[in-house]
Amino acid sequence: MGLYIAQQLINAVSYGSILGLLAVGYTMIYGILGLINFAHGEVFMIGAFVCYLASSVYSMSWISGAVLALIVSTAVGLLLERYVYRPNTEKKAPLLTVFIASFAASIGLRHIMMMFYTDKRRAFPIPQVFEKMFLVGGVAIGLRDIVVFIVTIVIMSVLAYFIRYSKMGMGMRAVSYDKRTAELVGVNSSKVTIAAFIIGSALAGLSALAYGLSFGIVNPSMGIAPGLTAFIAAVLGGIGNVSGAMIGGFIIGIGEVLFVALLPASLSPLRPLFVWILLFVILFTKPSGLFKPNVKFEEIWE
Amino acid sequence: MLLELDSVTTGYGKAQVLKDICLHVYQGEIVALLGANGAGKSTTLRCIAGVIQPWEGSVKFSGVDTRGLPPYTLVSKGISYCPEGRDVFANLTVLENLKIGAYLVDDVEQSEARLEWIYDLFPRLKERRKQSAASLSGGEQQMLAIGRSLMANPKLLMLDEPSLGVAPILVEAIYSKIEEINASGTSILLVEQNVNLALEVANRAYVLEKGEISLEGTGAELRDNEHVKASYLGIA
Repeated sequence: MGLYIAQQLINAVSYGSILGLLAVGYTMIYGILGLINFAHGEVFMIGAFVCYLASSVYSMSWISGAVLALIVSTAVGLLLERYVYRPNTEKKAPLLTVFIASFAASIGLRHIMMMFYTDKRRAFPIPQVFEKMFLVGGVAIGLRDIVVFIVTIVIMSVLAYFIRYSKMGMGMRAVSYDKRTAELVGVNSSKVTIAAFIIGSALAGLSALAYGLSFGIVNPSMGIAPGLTAFIAAVLGGIGNVSGAMIGGFIIGIGEVLFVALLPASLSPLRPLFVWILLFVILFTKPSGLFKPNVKFEEIWE
Repeated sequence: MLLELDSVTTGYGKAQVLKDICLHVYQGEIVALLGANGAGKSTTLRCIAGVIQPWEGSVKFSGVDTRGLPPYTLVSKGISYCPEGRDVFANLTVLENLKIGAYLVDDVEQSEARLEWIYDLFPRLKERRKQSAASLSGGEQQMLAIGRSLMANPKLLMLDEPSLGVAPILVEAIYSKIEEINASGTSILLVEQNVNLALEVANRAYVLEKGEISLEGTGAELRDNEHVKASYLGIA
């Protein structure tokens, strides 16, 4: 049993990394625009698809497919900002309108992909080298788990440093907290918004690669469940708090795994319920999240 | 002339707030904008800062029409607006709040010198530089908001109700600093409900009533004006 849980925890670390990387985009964009970017899960999906298409269909090398995936997911994020969100904010559209636009973008991207590729699950290309396993005290640790974890930690440390110490990072925190006042002290909020979409979408692409390596599949609706779960990780970590989102991702990843491991096997289909129970608990006990949010708290749940 | 509003009419959505406002500030002046709650004082400042646009008329800064320029561009041109209610970034430290005021200043040495000058002006901010801005008292937050606006090295500093919600002893301190800031070369446009206080420091003042300018003159002239005495100074 102990060995079983240890093995599950190893898997949970990769899953937590995937959620954490994806949660960063939600938390940054929610912090700055005050809305959930529902299409973020589709940015993630397109990232995984691009790597699959490049590598498995158009026989490019895996690494060029991966780089292309990051570029395309960033580009999709920028297109969303430019053509879905910016027209709304420029016209000062009511939040409900933006909400619907966001939903439409999410469904639209998903179904365009289904139109071309159906929703059939396809095998994500996993380079031979990532199949390597290490046995540590009876627990199998895959090289891909190690790589995913290390890349995640490095990227997140760099990002946390950037947010904490760079001028743009400070501008992002200021715009998150109070956009109007930030503009009055000289912060160009349009630039900050674009930066948030670039960072969030690139990390969604990275998260998608980690997802592909860990779960080995791609399909057009693959972004829905990780997207919702990552959003809850962002809420758990405190909206606008990038390090909080990352830690929230790990907590949910590990929590979900323990939730399943500790329940009888017949109840394991209830696994997706875990995050919703957790969301309920957060909302009732500490709606601002575990860590300090970077928004005026009363604005979060208006 | 540093700032010139020529027949500005504006408001929010379809609700008109200001009508035909003509107002100017010369280089080096302290000008007060007085009036009751809801007279349109803050709206005037927001219009100058680029938060809202004039429907009619024009706002000129250093002779250039500012129409269409966003607030952050106007900051780089030399207009700093310190909004009412002190809106400091509570999620940032005191030092970060000051640094963000110099967001558009690329010269690091100049920013450092500016920071030291603000610390001299408000030593309390230096003591508390590492604390969260949320932990400051109302008066300290006001000092921080003023300090933040000064970090951009503005030609014109617009202060919106700097005495509001500040302990009386700190109000005195803040007003003496306003004169000190002015003496360093920054022109000031001051919105204040506390008319007595404003007229003490202002070279000139305008009285705004229901969105229109009803009176203007030097501080002394307005202090002696019967209407001002009766309506704003509580002297019968």
